[in-house]
Amino acid sequence: MILSAGSELGPWTVDHVDPDKMKVFAEVLADPNPIHLDPQAVIDAGLGDRVINQGPASFGYVLNMLYEAAPHAAIRDLNVRLTANVFGGDRITVAGTIESVDEIEGERRASCRVWVDVEGGRRALQGTATLVLPVE
Amino acid sequence: MTAPGFESLPGRALPEGTFTITEEDDRRVHAVVGGQPRDGGLAHPLWAYIAAQRGIGIGVADICALASFDVSDGPMLGSSHLEYHRPIMLGVPYRVTGQVLGIERKRGSIGTFDVLEFREDLLCTDGELVASSTSTYILPRRDA
Repeated sequence: MILSAGSELGPWTVDHVDPDKMKVFAEVLADPNPIHLDPQAVIDAGLGDRVINQGPASFGYVLNMLYEAAPHAAIRDLNVRLTANVFGGDRITVAGTIESVDEIEGERRASCRVWVDVEGGRRALQGTATLVLPVE
Repeated sequence: MTAPGFESLPGRALPEGTFTITEEDDRRVHAVVGGQPRDGGLAHPLWAYIAAQRGIGIGVADICALASFDVSDGPMLGSSHLEYHRPIMLGVPYRVTGQVLGIERKRGSIGTFDVLEFREDLLCTDGELVASSTSTYILPRRDA
């Protein structure tokens, strides 16, 4: 597949954000924040009644989506903002689009928009990414 | 506007540390966020964030404490900018350096809050930059 301006990236989905994986990720991140581990902590914080997925997990989903959409490209950067929580049990869709492809310093750089949407309407993450595309 | 009382914080260096990504850790990251493990000793690119957070010589709670914020009061990760200069490899000892970039006082739907921005760099032991992670934490200031 030739990637060019207007190309769609993804979708890449997680059918069920798994609370058990949040426990593993909490260890990997060395992040003991209880809102990722204990629904009661989420209730006490007034943020809902299900555990909240770690924000960096969504960065990982986007990086996976980019890697699968452009397996021969190099990811140069990912610049994102977290805009809503992802809760345990949510179904999410990760996608993007290439806005432009430009020759810069001898490289073909694709400027992308990327996002993570939660089924039901919330956009949990939005931002941009830059890919260095292989020479055709 | 720099948050009042923290005018000396921007530019402050964070304590250096080191971090080596093991194959087992990388397997766990793939088990959590998915994706196929890379060949050739390449780590998942999310390690630009994780290794920076794990490797810098100061924990999340102590970063919050620099801004006189108790981590139990609920900091929120607001944004992240990951920049890649070289592939991130398994089994390579990386040096991690960092600094506070700024702290701004704002008002919004959650009331008054500070946006603490800091950057962490992952470097080879020869000093070559591998990746950078710039993050913002949202720190609600219920008493401001």
